[in-house]
Amino acid sequence: MTESKKVQLSDAVETARRFTEQVPHNSDLGMQVVSVDGSKVCMRLTPQAWMFSDIGRSEICTSILYSLADSASGLAVFAEAQELTPIATLSLHMDYMKPAYAGRALLAVAICRHLIDDIAFIHCDIFSEGDSQPVATGSATFIRNTWGQRFKVAESKKEGYE
Amino acid sequence: MSDNVSSAQASADSQVGKNECTAWQTLLQRIPYSGHLGLEAQQCDAGILIHLPYREAFIGNFMLPALHGGVIGALIEITARVAAQREDTQTRCPRILGSNINYLRSAQAQPTFAIAEIVRQGRRTSLVQVSCWQGDKTAPIASGRVQLLFATSGANQDDSHEG
Repeated sequence: MTESKKVQLSDAVETARRFTEQVPHNSDLGMQVVSVDGSKVCMRLTPQAWMFSDIGRSEICTSILYSLADSASGLAVFAEAQELTPIATLSLHMDYMKPAYAGRALLAVAICRHLIDDIAFIHCDIFSEGDSQPVATGSATFIRNTWGQRFKVAESKKEGYE
Repeated sequence: MSDNVSSAQASADSQVGKNECTAWQTLLQRIPYSGHLGLEAQQCDAGILIHLPYREAFIGNFMLPALHGGVIGALIEITARVAAQREDTQTRCPRILGSNINYLRSAQAQPTFAIAEIVRQGRRTSLVQVSCWQGDKTAPIASGRVQLLFATSGANQDDSHEG
């Protein structure tokens, strides 16, 4: 990836999709990429008992929804940009509207709202599978082209973002 | 004599700190996902901090390598939840309503620490500020604010299990 700049459109998205599932934390939580359609990404996670927020209650810890939103949003950046330059989350805001319970998979739908050279703005909804209303909603910003020295670029141009 | 008094005071303080640390740990143990992450309460001069050990399963970018933003998010949310619960006079378990997290530096493949500060503890809600660092506490890697809701006599509790 360090040498790739722009690969073929579909190749870049396909690579990002495989890459996303291989990220250690994503595979630890069992995240799967369901679809990448334009800049719209859908990911799925099957809740496990160790993801619960309390012993004896089948409510899923909000932090699981947070991780799923972060990963789906990251993939949405690649899907929109159609290139494989590394990215890093700058900020993520989540609202947890209602509890998500075990027994049903979680689905994340992320879409890139706007893309500029350095930053991507993403919106992400989290659903309990089968529901039309999301259990949680999030908005994220990602910094792009973080070649190794992640925030050096951000620091040198700080006034632009703050 | 005064030395004896102050050392007795210090020992009493340390006992209070130890008890508080145990209370935090007990609350952490009620959270299955906290156990998966291996979160642990530790005593420090500023109060109680939460330690997230390093594990390969927490990596979000294996090129750098760097921890996944979601793992840092979990550290912040769970720290805020336990802090708000300890602050509540009835130690009610709060529900997390939302979090707002900013990533300040790359989170390296090493242990991470978090400390909470209560911004506002109300009767129904709590706002908690959490700061995370790795080697250097003065160079935080992430900072977040978490809003929590306490159930008042069951009225705000969504009990539609498996809803």
